[in-house]
Amino acid sequence: MDLQNIQWKIHLADGYSADAHEWFKVFGTWIPDSPEVFVDVADYSHVQDGPVIFLSGHAVCYSLDAVGKRLGLLYERRQPAAEGSNPEKLNESLSSLLKHAAMLESDATFKNKPKFVAGDLKFIVNNRAIAPNNDATLAALKPELEALLNKVYGTGGYTLTREPDVKQRFIVHVKAKAPVTVTEALKKLG
Amino acid sequence: MSKQELYTSAAAKYWRDTLSDRLPSEWRKNVDEFEADITLKKMGKVDHKLFAETRLRMGAYGQRYDNGHRYDGKTVRDIPFPEEFKGPETYWDAPGMQRIKLPWGGLTPDQMDLFADLAEEYSDGICHITTRQAIQLHYIHIENCPSMYRRLGALGITTREACGNAVRNVSADPMTGVSPTEAFDVTPYAQAIFEFLLGHPDAQDFGRKFKIALSGDKEGSSGLVNIHDLGLIARIKDGKRGFEFYVGGGLGAVPYAAKLFSDFVSEEEILPLSQAVCRIYARHGEKKKRHRARIKFLIADLGFEKFRDMVIEERAKLPHDPRWTAYLKDLNKLDEKPSRPAGSGLKCTGDAAFDFWVKTNVKPQKQKGYVAVLVTLPLGDITSNQMRNLADICRKYINDTVRTVAEQNLLLRWVSENDVAALYAELKAVGLHLPGAESILDVTACPGTDTCKLGVSSSRGLAGEMRSRLYAKGAAIDPAIRDLRIKISGCFNSCSHHHIADIGFYGISRNVGGYVVPHFQMVLGGQFQNNGGAYGIGVGGIASKAVPAVVERLTGLYLESRNKDENFRTWVERTGKATIMQSLQDLLEVPAYEKDKSFYVDWGDVREYSVKDKGIGECAGEIVTLTDFGLKAADRELFDAQLRFEGGDATSAGSRAYRAMVLAAQGLLKGKDPDVPENADVVMERFTKEFHDTGVFNDPYAGPKFAQYYFQAHGHRGQGLDKDKTSLLLHEAQLFVEACHSCYARMSLTETKEAVA
Ligand code: HEM
Ligand code: SF4
Repeated sequence: MDLQNIQWKIHLADGYSADAHEWFKVFGTWIPDSPEVFVDVADYSHVQDGPVIFLSGHAVCYSLDAVGKRLGLLYERRQPAAEGSNPEKLNESLSSLLKHAAMLESDATFKNKPKFVAGDLKFIVNNRAIAPNNDATLAALKPELEALLNKVYGTGGYTLTREPDVKQRFIVHVKAKAPVTVTEALKKLG
Repeated sequence: MSKQELYTSAAAKYWRDTLSDRLPSEWRKNVDEFEADITLKKMGKVDHKLFAETRLRMGAYGQRYDNGHRYDGKTVRDIPFPEEFKGPETYWDAPGMQRIKLPWGGLTPDQMDLFADLAEEYSDGICHITTRQAIQLHYIHIENCPSMYRRLGALGITTREACGNAVRNVSADPMTGVSPTEAFDVTPYAQAIFEFLLGHPDAQDFGRKFKIALSGDKEGSSGLVNIHDLGLIARIKDGKRGFEFYVGGGLGAVPYAAKLFSDFVSEEEILPLSQAVCRIYARHGEKKKRHRARIKFLIADLGFEKFRDMVIEERAKLPHDPRWTAYLKDLNKLDEKPSRPAGSGLKCTGDAAFDFWVKTNVKPQKQKGYVAVLVTLPLGDITSNQMRNLADICRKYINDTVRTVAEQNLLLRWVSENDVAALYAELKAVGLHLPGAESILDVTACPGTDTCKLGVSSSRGLAGEMRSRLYAKGAAIDPAIRDLRIKISGCFNSCSHHHIADIGFYGISRNVGGYVVPHFQMVLGGQFQNNGGAYGIGVGGIASKAVPAVVERLTGLYLESRNKDENFRTWVERTGKATIMQSLQDLLEVPAYEKDKSFYVDWGDVREYSVKDKGIGECAGEIVTLTDFGLKAADRELFDAQLRFEGGDATSAGSRAYRAMVLAAQGLLKGKDPDVPENADVVMERFTKEFHDTGVFNDPYAGPKFAQYYFQAHGHRGQGLDKDKTSLLLHEAQLFVEACHSCYARMSLTETKEAVA
């Protein structure tokens, strides 16, 4: 499978309450001169179980995301079609997510500083045509996913579970067995 | 070119291979052709303009910032999209908007699941319900459109003619079929009109869009016939079904009420007569000047009687088409059935939140034991997961009987009264239990500056703010106020339907001390009920940040001083604009930039609305003062004109409205030459030469439209007009004066930029 439309979500620590306005402000500061070609920020704090603040971009979008009623930072690859091997695409996308999570953790704008749980991730292929949510897709992607995650959490240091709801996209829940910080995860990813 | 080259991606190929056979052949052809156009465009074989027209006809719009520029609060920055275009000055890769039309607002749970999927995969996880019962997805990449169209087509939805100069979504009162007051269910007729006119050769050569609406009855309905190009209201005459047939309504900058074409057109005649209207509009409607191209202008130019004669003559000449009546044989095919047994009355639970929700969101049906339930969607938005959850809830309690609503909500029909409490609990679990539908809490807003290229002020930002403040009071709001409606448009185009709101707003910008400040023009006393029964009266410009306080004051005033059972419109008319504005006076003053910068940033934004500094220099300062002065004088004159009109003196209202236009034009000229003479002919001549012919006055989107109003008025100088024409002149004068304000704001921006550079 030629992996496209990769999304990663890193969850925020339980109990973190986001000030949507602050996130709106911070995402806005990412726009100028961004290599991702960020375009604009949209506020969806009035709806539930979806994006809260959405930073639209040409190559990549980010959002403060509340899907599944859990807050986190969502990375979403858009245009153009990602090139390279699947392991390269996986590595590149996860490290972009972690770098931006680190940026947010140290952004002085936040009164209530976000704290991410680097051992609590969601991997999504946002494309039902190439990645139906079934065991076959998991079987196809598992080796490559594991190769990546072994680096971050160590072999056997995590669990992978496919989202059982068939109406959802292909989603893999990743849970590390031991706590990991964003900085540590980034370092291990190399 | 090989067929393989047409596939834009592996996913596109998958959907094409899997779904093509499930599309009706004509729809399949449309999508295949569009996909080919995408490929050809990428090969440089289609010109920008032509491609733009092609995609618009499929409902694929541009979106704000797709010209590759964005103001970041300090300066306009380039967005470095790759150098490829999908229209003039529209970057190929820039996020766009897809409008998906749903005839009569019909939606099934399976389609809801699909919308959830599409929003996730191609948009931002949000489905947005529009004021014409369509669904919009934003941040779409053009190359995903063919896949999206195939997935929609496989479930019976086409986006063809969702935009462009064509017959748009055929809308209908969402309660039709279950409404206790209607003559009969108009759904099959709306479907027949949609099917008949979709891609019809007689409906392809319009100068502008053409909107059709149907309503089951005159008073109790929210079919909004009055604001449509073509509208039908169900009627039974001598035991036979037919319709009151209306033409020429429309909102936009200057609203026109639809005119009664015939008080009874039999069901056999509605398709041929609609076809004849389309033919006359296509043949005689304006094609070049977009701002005069809606059918309302053709009717005004020809005169209603002449227009009618032409249509009747055209109808007589039409060759017979069996489709005109074929659908009547199968009229019941869209009939709905409940999935659960009828209930035995609504039970109060004593839970205040539930009872309030029942009051605002549950509507009786004519079918005993059933109710229709409104799902309130804040700002018309619903997330993918919510949509999917709602689809499951619908499967449990009803059949395929969901409709989108013009006030940007969803309506679940055929809910058994016995299920209402359980349904509420399930809606609550997924965050869809908001009360306040069809009330002041449920503010309607167009996309405005969030995503619309034409937005002037942040309609969604303001609506969000108003909603939070109003919901904080919730059930404590006095019922007299609760029943009012607020609608907010980001510009004069009136996509939110602000003309038919009790309290309506549209975005404008004003120059204050050399800064451009986001404002809204307030329009009071419109009527949503009775098919959009009356248009509101423009009252005055208010800084965006002052609007919530103004609404609070205004509604308080209404509550205090209304006569018993006096409705809002009557109260507005009786109280008069002067008194209303007087009582808001302290809220109208915009604090100086140095004192309160918050007024210079719009709602829902963090960027400063305008440049930070104003050009320094005595000359510039003086120019600003003189123009300010002139524009103020124009505002005053116009205000006076409107008061006179309200007082029944149309003659002096007309000449004053014209005079206001002269004062505004003169104000602009004074910026260049303080000694501009008073003579109206000289002002016209110099305005034409210095502002119109140079393009300086052109609105970035509307072009010279508003100058044309002034030129027309100069011909008659506001004299010898009847009441209707004077009313139009007042609207046009308002728009022209507003455009002078905007022009001045733009000029001072340029001056400041030059001074800074
Ligand atoms: C790219 C964004 C949009 C553009 C450029 C646009 C443009 C316009 C224009 C120019 C008009 C005035 C038409 C006339 O009277 O000649 C208009 C009216 C209208 N638009 Fe939009 N619009 C946009 C988005 C929307 C959206 C998102 C909605 C729905 C939420 C909407 C619904 C309407 C409605 C209901 C009217 C009133 C027209 C009538 O009923 O006569 N539009 N729009
Ligand atoms: S009213 Fe203006 S700002 Fe709002 S959607 Fe329509 S065109 Fe855009």
